[in-house]
Amino acid sequence: MTSPASLFSITGIVLLLTANARADEFFEKRIRPVLADRCYECHSATAKKIKGSLRVDTREGLLKGGETGPAIVPGNPEESLLITAIRYHDKELRMPPPKEELPQQLPEAEINDLVAWIKAGAMMPADSSPAAGSLRRPDAKLHWAFQPLTHPTIPATPNPDWPGNALDSFILEKLIAAGLKPSAAADKRTLIRRATFDLIGLPPAPEEVRAFIEDQSPGAFAKVVDRLLASPQYGERWARHWLDLARYSDTKGYVYGREERFFVHASSYRDWVIRAFNSDLPYDQFLLLQIAADQLAPMGSPDLAAMGFLTGGRRFLGVTHDIIDDRIDVVTRGTMALTVTCARCHDHKFDPISTRDYYSLYGVFHNAAQQLVPIGAARDAAYEKEYEVRAKKLAASMKSRREESGERLRKRLGEYLAAQFELEKYPEEGFDQLLGAADLIPASVRRWRDFLRRSDTHPIFGVWNALKKIPAADFESQAGSVLQTLSLNPLVAAAFSTPPKSMAEVAERYAGLFAGIEQQAAQADKPADPAAEALRQFLYDPLSPATVPDTEIVDNELFFPTSVCTELWALQGELDRWIIQSPAAQPHALILADREPEPNPRVFRRGSPSKPGEEVPRRFLEIAAGPNRQPFTHGSGRLEMARAIVDPANPLTARVMANRVWLYHFGTGLVRTPSDFGVRAESPSHPELLDWLAGYLIEHGWSIKSLHRLIMASAVYQQSSLEPSELSAASATADPENRLLSHFPRHRLEFEQMRDAFLAVTDELDRTVGGKPGDILSPANKRRSIYGLVDRQFLPGTFRVFDFANPDLHVAQRSETTVPQQALFFLNSGFIADRARAIAKLPGTDLERISHLYSALLQRAPTEHETAAALSFIATAEDATVPKPPESAWSYGWGEYDTIQKRIKAFSPLPYFTSDAWQGGPAWPDTQLGWAQLTAEGGHAGNDLQHAVIRRWTAPGDMTIAITGKALHEFEPGDGIRVMIVSSRQGELKSAVLHHSSAEMSVPAFEVKKGETIDFVTDYLANLNTDMFTWRPVIVASAPSISWDAKKQFTGPAMLQPLTVWEQYAQVLFLSNEFLFVD
Amino acid sequence: MRNPPDRHNPFSRREFLQRCGMGMGSLGLAGLLGSPGLSNAADAANSLAARLPHFAPKAKRVIHFFLNGGPSHVDTFDPKPALAKYAGQSLPGEYLRTERKTGAAFPSPFKFQRYGQSGLEVSELFAKTAEHADDIAVIRSMYAQVPNHEPSLMLMNCGDSVQARPSVGAWVLYGLGTENQNLPGFITMCPGGYPVKDAENWQSGFLPGVYQGTFIDPQQTGKLIENIVSPHAGEAVQKRQLDLLRALNAEHQRTRIDDSRLDARIQSFELAFRMQMDATDAFDIGKEPQPIREMYGTHVHGRQTLIARRLLERGVRFVQLWHGAGQPWDHHENIEAGLRAQAGQIDQPIAALLTDLKQRGMLDETLVVWGGEFGRTPTVELGDAGKSKLGRDHNPYGFSVWMAGGGIKGGTVHGATDEFGFRAVEKRASVHDLHATILHCLGFDHEKLTYRHAGRDFRLTDVEGEVIRSVLV
Repeated sequence: MTSPASLFSITGIVLLLTANARADEFFEKRIRPVLADRCYECHSATAKKIKGSLRVDTREGLLKGGETGPAIVPGNPEESLLITAIRYHDKELRMPPPKEELPQQLPEAEINDLVAWIKAGAMMPADSSPAAGSLRRPDAKLHWAFQPLTHPTIPATPNPDWPGNALDSFILEKLIAAGLKPSAAADKRTLIRRATFDLIGLPPAPEEVRAFIEDQSPGAFAKVVDRLLASPQYGERWARHWLDLARYSDTKGYVYGREERFFVHASSYRDWVIRAFNSDLPYDQFLLLQIAADQLAPMGSPDLAAMGFLTGGRRFLGVTHDIIDDRIDVVTRGTMALTVTCARCHDHKFDPISTRDYYSLYGVFHNAAQQLVPIGAARDAAYEKEYEVRAKKLAASMKSRREESGERLRKRLGEYLAAQFELEKYPEEGFDQLLGAADLIPASVRRWRDFLRRSDTHPIFGVWNALKKIPAADFESQAGSVLQTLSLNPLVAAAFSTPPKSMAEVAERYAGLFAGIEQQAAQADKPADPAAEALRQFLYDPLSPATVPDTEIVDNELFFPTSVCTELWALQGELDRWIIQSPAAQPHALILADREPEPNPRVFRRGSPSKPGEEVPRRFLEIAAGPNRQPFTHGSGRLEMARAIVDPANPLTARVMANRVWLYHFGTGLVRTPSDFGVRAESPSHPELLDWLAGYLIEHGWSIKSLHRLIMASAVYQQSSLEPSELSAASATADPENRLLSHFPRHRLEFEQMRDAFLAVTDELDRTVGGKPGDILSPANKRRSIYGLVDRQFLPGTFRVFDFANPDLHVAQRSETTVPQQALFFLNSGFIADRARAIAKLPGTDLERISHLYSALLQRAPTEHETAAALSFIATAEDATVPKPPESAWSYGWGEYDTIQKRIKAFSPLPYFTSDAWQGGPAWPDTQLGWAQLTAEGGHAGNDLQHAVIRRWTAPGDMTIAITGKALHEFEPGDGIRVMIVSSRQGELKSAVLHHSSAEMSVPAFEVKKGETIDFVTDYLANLNTDMFTWRPVIVASAPSISWDAKKQFTGPAMLQPLTVWEQYAQVLFLSNEFLFVD
Repeated sequence: MRNPPDRHNPFSRREFLQRCGMGMGSLGLAGLLGSPGLSNAADAANSLAARLPHFAPKAKRVIHFFLNGGPSHVDTFDPKPALAKYAGQSLPGEYLRTERKTGAAFPSPFKFQRYGQSGLEVSELFAKTAEHADDIAVIRSMYAQVPNHEPSLMLMNCGDSVQARPSVGAWVLYGLGTENQNLPGFITMCPGGYPVKDAENWQSGFLPGVYQGTFIDPQQTGKLIENIVSPHAGEAVQKRQLDLLRALNAEHQRTRIDDSRLDARIQSFELAFRMQMDATDAFDIGKEPQPIREMYGTHVHGRQTLIARRLLERGVRFVQLWHGAGQPWDHHENIEAGLRAQAGQIDQPIAALLTDLKQRGMLDETLVVWGGEFGRTPTVELGDAGKSKLGRDHNPYGFSVWMAGGGIKGGTVHGATDEFGFRAVEKRASVHDLHATILHCLGFDHEKLTYRHAGRDFRLTDVEGEVIRSVLV
């Protein structure tokens, strides 16, 4: 405690405590979290049982203390029992108490904090005592983001030249206050490049730049902005921002093998978002449709696709609670920047969001099931017909399997009741057991559990809870009188006319009661007995636990034995795959549709579904809807929730979106945590501006395009990113992070912008709009990157390396990392080389070609320096060109070795290169050429003697060579391989049979003629088993002195066509910082 | 620990120059082609630069043998002689629910023996590994949550059974950075393809993508790192291209002196250029002397373990070695033959690695972790007709993991399962406890290695985890 370091930190803290505000902040940041985390469980209003009569959640509680006396003496930590306890100095008084022999002592830093806090008077913010069961932080309601939108007046600013529009007044006011100035306006080429990348994610064409520079009219830039906003590429850029937030993926993530892992609906959702941006769909409508299109758009409407926002998340192995959690998260962080899912297990530690709030929303989502529905009119009659056949087959199987399972549920009603006495044997979702037809289905056991829990007044099952409440010892004596208080179905009353002796007997009586009920109710010769009919109807009620819910397999899979579940998924998968693969398929939407209204949800204590707590109504968040909010009344309440989100009185939604739009234009939000506007978020850099923008958005009919126009017309948007040096010194001190925007922040292109820009400048970009996703890393695919396949389970390394948004998570802002793997992509990928090849095919003089490249890639003319550097690069490269690179001496193929003639019968090249190996095709083994493969240092023999693999060296001239190298067959299984060295002129030079052994494959110096081939042949001997081998031949020529090393010169096909010097030059321009950064 | 900087890097160039007392000139690129230095602008902007943990670490790097499928603890490191007493009969007491149905007690067909000064009991399956018994601490009281591979793999690798969370390797890389910029800092190898759950096992979750594990299939000799080889330009051509690039970038930067991101990118090309050579070299076990290669053995596990040692030696922070595609240790039936085969493939490489690390003086600074996603039942698994399958079902209630090397007290046993090995009963150790212990060895307080995401500070151990102190030196 007295080490210099800790003294230093205490001094620091004391200084921190000088002002009241600081004290409050210190308490909230450093003290309350510790108390809440480590003490509240036993010593607060929220504790199940307050231990030792001590409460530490109020200052009064601490002063009053518990059974051992006052816990704190303000100003005197050494006298404070709290400190004694947390220091563990007194063996009898150690807090938090050790668990399983291990100390749970607070870290030293936290102890120091508490000491400092008591020393400084143990102050707590005035209104901080949490009421039992309610929010911990009533004061948090005063947080700026939860206040109604203000309508700030535009500040008057003294600089009549600078403000372009109202925004600038807000910006300038802060700059002046900080003693700073804005920068000059950006030049026109920079401005149009910035605006074009910004709005459509592509570079401007050279003609567009020229036209803008030549347009001297005052509205020239506004025209550019309008043109860009009207372009279909605008939606393709801005939809991608939203897809980051919507954790967009074309696949479901990991699913069990029985299920199709591709979504049917994902690309419909993506295209809907693109169209929504292009048509400037008002943002409130945009959100309403994404959350509740099922209740706003008719069946078949293309707008149903919007619900992919909710249904595009991971499958979480089918665990309902996690699927719902993901949906709550994407909605609440996405629209209101509230981290509601923090309240899944406990009240939010910082924000005024309770578990009650969380489970209110949980109930909204729980009360809905997924449906895959076609949208738009069918365009192909044959497709339509086949679709119906397949859909009917699935529906028929589902129906019969539901009935069959329902039959079992009804027959075994007594067993399901008995199972309620040993619920611990039926674990929660996520604990998967293989279930046979003879097993009780845990999901049904739980459904019974939940049903019985809320059946106090149920005319049939009211008996259950009433009797269950009686202590076992008093059961027999009290059961009779309890039963008399109930109002019951006459048959039930009759069955319990004598009191049962135990709950087990209650279960048995119910089983008996239901056993003959179907026959009884269905006796044709008698009018139905209403009491029997009520019992019968219970067995078939869709809400009854004796049925399997009538949903698609995705929502009722847990109610079937394993083999049935697999069967139904297989059928669903067949349908899904068929839709995905049919060229004529209609688009589909995956919607949520309300189920039969369910009872209110209950809070799961500590997030555990097996510990249900109090019941809460389905209703909106208190922080956004106020304390007088009412329960939702319409179905699940999902549409009401959506309306509450977009209600202009909701303080968050407009602010959050205005901030996002600002962020995507400037690279940093006015609030730097765009998806967390909670208490711990940093305050906005320009609070008035944020409110003004939010108000503007609402007043302009929630038009995002009007917000773009406003922002881009401002002088702050149009200023230069290059700060004059006389200003940069001042801003570096006053505003090192450029929050005040004394200059425009430079951007680095995001992955999609970068790839699209490469294709755009070479004029190769395929601008087809919409449709199914494809692999954008494949050389043939030249579509915009937003149409690339996003497979969240197998996201290509290149996506990760370039900071693509993680499709598992709502991503508010991409990270920007710089790693050598990015540079490897620029240097070595076929993608960049192909772009260089595409653009370097230019006619004209050297100077014309250089100028053309600058114009296309960078939209400007080269400087004299740059031209000189280019010319010199091209000139020296030509000097260094060697007539023929020695590595082209190698080729890779397959054929048959003729053991009689000692010759290769025919040499065919291996057609496919993986970047590491030559083989038959992308899959290995290949359907045609099997396992045949050659790598830098070895390979694998083909599947038969006709498919020996052959590494061929062709002599570039007459010379004397020697061959060295060891061939190795490493493994024991199988019978090994045969290796041969064969000359086209001289026949077999050397051979060996290898099995779990090696051989020196050397040939001493001998003469070869120009064009003579030396083949290094491997075949499989007699059977195909473990025929991989290592063999790296090296050929050394004595005169001229050159060597060829199979490994060092191992290359793919492109090496046969290395880049020309102009292509090399073009590649450098693609690699330049100027290409990748936008000023 | 704070989050790494978001899109604008932590140090402006100006600030960086002040910190390092360097002038513009010394940031010239040629200087970078020497040894990897940590204090330059690229590293300041580089989220992979080496960093110090919270306190002096015992271990600097980790190698994790992941026996995917769920290795049987009662046949390897947790002897249960009582099973023999009940062979063929039902075990007394309550049966725990697992994924499938199991029947009678199923004694281990393998002999256990005491090894080393410590007398640690190990089965014949790991006789070679057991020669290092006095370096090994076995935690016999591990438990997970559910008897299914997928969630248990996620729990063991990422600390959460279901949600997308960063893997242990990603956390370690985030915390410590890497000591060799020319190689990925977190490498995961699995012969023949992906294990169950694919790349989720080494995901970066909400951490930036650079912390994701880099996957390599050691059976595909040559398949190393994406784009590591140029198919269109040789070394000489690339050198000339980089010279020109440097000149063009310098011109561009002349008026943009305050942006460390520009520097970082310039330098990333120099790093990449070197990486092309170094990475190839690191994976080339042909450079190892014959006796070393023989010690590891010729099987693919020997190769991948030897590659792993070469990587660790070069400063790679976290290497995870999987046994094979799918789940090779999932012995539902005929466990005797299956275990012999699987253990036979890795016993020698593991023993060789421990010997090799020791003789190089690396074991003290390398944390070796061995285990799977859960253990197996001491009772025999039953087939459809209730017939014995001579195998064992999944068992999350109790299993073993062992550690050795940096920070670990060898020859120790922590905790115990019940008499039969069904459930951990003494000093129960959760997966969070294991993670807390791994982080502790690397110098981290697991409660303080956090990352702000979705409004709160997340950590590998969620809200749990206690360091298992009895296995520490």
